[in-house]
Amino acid sequence: MRVIVDQKPIPFAPGDSLLVAMLRAGEHPTEGGCLCLGGDCPNCLATVDGISYVRTCQVAAKPGMVVERHPADGYPLLPDDSRHRAEVHAHNHHCDVVVIGQGESGRAALAEAEAAGKQAIGLDVANGQEAIGIYSGPLVVARTAAGMLHIHAAEVVVATGAAEIQPVVPGSELAGLFTSRAAEQLTAAGLDLGRVVAVGTPPAGIECELASGDLLRFEGEGGRVTAVITQSADGSENRYPCQTAVVGLGLYPRDALTRMGHQLPVRAVGDATREADLPTCPGEGIICPCSGVSVADLERIWEQGFQEMELVKRATLAGTGTCQGGVCTPYLRSFLLAKGKTLQPAFTARPVNRQLTLGEIAAGAHHHPTARTALDGEHRRLGAKMERSGGWWRPWNYGDVWAEYWAVREAVSIMDVSTLGKMIVSGPDVLELLERLYPTKVSTIKNGRSRYVLLLDERGYVFDDGMICKDSDTQYTLTFTSGGSSHAEMWVRDWAESWGLDVRILLQTQRLGAINVTGPLANELLARAGLDNPPPYLGHIEATVAGVPCRIFRLSFTGELSYELHHPVEQSVTLWRGLLELGQELGIRPHGLETLLKLRLEKGHIIVGQDTDMDSTPRRLHHEWAIKLDKEFFIGRQAVLRTNKIPLDKQLVGLEMVGQPAGYAPLEGGVIWHQGNYAGIVTSATYSPALGKTVLLGWLYLQNGELPTEVEIEGKTARRVEVPFYDKEASRARA
Amino acid sequence: MPELNRLPATRIVSTALDGAVWPENRLVLRTAADELLIIPPVADVSSVTSHDPYAIVVEDASYAGVWLGADEAAAILRRHCEWRVTAQRPQFAQGAIAGIATKLWLEADRVLFVVPAPYAVEFEERIV
Ligand code: FES
Repeated sequence: MRVIVDQKPIPFAPGDSLLVAMLRAGEHPTEGGCLCLGGDCPNCLATVDGISYVRTCQVAAKPGMVVERHPADGYPLLPDDSRHRAEVHAHNHHCDVVVIGQGESGRAALAEAEAAGKQAIGLDVANGQEAIGIYSGPLVVARTAAGMLHIHAAEVVVATGAAEIQPVVPGSELAGLFTSRAAEQLTAAGLDLGRVVAVGTPPAGIECELASGDLLRFEGEGGRVTAVITQSADGSENRYPCQTAVVGLGLYPRDALTRMGHQLPVRAVGDATREADLPTCPGEGIICPCSGVSVADLERIWEQGFQEMELVKRATLAGTGTCQGGVCTPYLRSFLLAKGKTLQPAFTARPVNRQLTLGEIAAGAHHHPTARTALDGEHRRLGAKMERSGGWWRPWNYGDVWAEYWAVREAVSIMDVSTLGKMIVSGPDVLELLERLYPTKVSTIKNGRSRYVLLLDERGYVFDDGMICKDSDTQYTLTFTSGGSSHAEMWVRDWAESWGLDVRILLQTQRLGAINVTGPLANELLARAGLDNPPPYLGHIEATVAGVPCRIFRLSFTGELSYELHHPVEQSVTLWRGLLELGQELGIRPHGLETLLKLRLEKGHIIVGQDTDMDSTPRRLHHEWAIKLDKEFFIGRQAVLRTNKIPLDKQLVGLEMVGQPAGYAPLEGGVIWHQGNYAGIVTSATYSPALGKTVLLGWLYLQNGELPTEVEIEGKTARRVEVPFYDKEASRARA
Repeated sequence: MPELNRLPATRIVSTALDGAVWPENRLVLRTAADELLIIPPVADVSSVTSHDPYAIVVEDASYAGVWLGADEAAAILRRHCEWRVTAQRPQFAQGAIAGIATKLWLEADRVLFVVPAPYAVEFEERIV
């Protein structure tokens, strides 16, 4: 059985970790450094089967495993993209107690929990379960051979034992250095360590020479240790030639997980709670091999005033590397103690305490889902290019945006607008609720009629728009923008509850499909679909269209004669196909979002979120007409009254480009200039075939109290004009 | 993973749900204090509307669902459910599963998974 180390096959014995296999073959996974075999140092990291920063002492050797050493003077390469990796799954486990570590104290804690009738689980590295972090919940995340384990427990017990202190002296980066426990494990595995010199507490069961005096440095040749140098009390140096140096410098609690559990039900038991031994404060050497921080660096930042553990960490990055302070923490504490500070606790620890692959990090995580309307399959079947918009998949176009545009302007077209927010509000207090929420006089809306409305927040800023449709004296239908409907639902519910009003609320966006029928031949299409008496402008009726029961709203966002057909969502496909079939002779074709954005811009209709900003007041939007300040109360009224007294600073205006070729439109979001100064931004722009010019909406700042009449965009001249650009009398929409 | 299908239901929002009586052969999911879903739909809702004339009562197919055997359901929950599902049966529960708002009707030997129909395809893709 062999593993491959830097293209060279090496044999291994049953039970070997990769590290033991390499040491057995006279190889070292890194340039050197004291090996602990306990998962606590940064000195055995290598790339294993394409995954970097793997602790080779923690991985069982398997035939054919490929180990590549990290470059000595840089970082390992990112994995090759072409290498296929299986998805890493997450598994959830819910229990009362999780015990991390199954040594003596861990087993006792597990037994105690079970005896108390609790559901308990024990994790142990020896069983391939490596706890890598504790999060709020508490949630313990562990890496296992079967994927990531997410343990949701009421209590976490950390029984991870203690780690051995690493040496920090000149030469501690040499190969051939081991902690006592590591040396014992290697000997038990049958490795011959050669001539061994021990510093501090000697390893059990290993024949070795004990070095007396304080450890001063290691000397070496060709990167390998050749001697241990100590200093006697009288200042003289002692030299101990060796092939292997073993250090027994004391223990510190392996408590990083405990330190992640601040303010969580996390407790440590056994050696993980022990007092840390304090090593002698080093005079020189690398104190943090992960970040390359030396004792000289500590002296320098001490002089600069960084004299607390957390400050030293931030100033030097000691403790932020791959061993998360495993090597440096005892020395930083002894350094500060030697400088006269009181003994300081170890740093706060943060997950994760092991290097993870992106797949391991992503396991079990999901991005926000994107909704599909009931017509999603129809759009895809028709070859639509689909885009995410407002939390939904929507058809952007069906391949020919200009044909779609002209179908609306000259014939008839349909669009899937099922994504619009739709809500029923019912109850004795419904009118009271809506009067308080909306800046319009809701009481003047008659049964069967609708009105365009803005929604303002308490600061008087516009955060959504839509329609109020009166169904009866005690029931209204509200509509919201597609992307804003969840927030609007929360807004309506929260206020209704805060005011203690007697209403019932149902958001029925997903229950009702909606298809917009628009274009000069819309009436003709509806007549063919069985509707001879469509509602008047801003009216709504219930009727059957193409065999489907619909609520028909007459309103217009495109600037043409338009009807929104709201219908049971399970009949969307029937209605869609029926309309397309019936409209064939009328030149029908569906249109997507791209076309709609052009059509509405020609009409100067704003899109909340695109043309508005976080500070868009009705006045800045030129929508004062939608605000009835003579109402006694509505949300945002006080703020509107207040901000109306402040001189206007900017306004959303209409612009048209001067003398530009057909098809040109500047980038949305681009800067508007006036006489060389920043004057605003473009929010929407399109070339308008119907008008033969490029039209825009944009925020324009007033200059000396006046809105500029001529500005520059992309180095070209644009003129401020009144909106709407198209059909100023609205004769087409009201036809 | 079998396909999720729309679940025709009667959906009621009302302040008078507590005393309402429904036919034995219906699944009644109380999704909120003032809202419930009755699967499949019922014709007679007078036990609510007689007490609450403002009740909103609609035919609703906005949810999609699928019944799965207890073992298959448990495997999905292990993978994709971060909250602790009660061991009681029968029991209604709701929360995110695979990042999607889900309702569960748990019986001894099977579980009904219910998600908003617009997320059904993504739900199927995620729990494969
Ligand atoms: S030898 Fe592997 S972590 Fe120390």
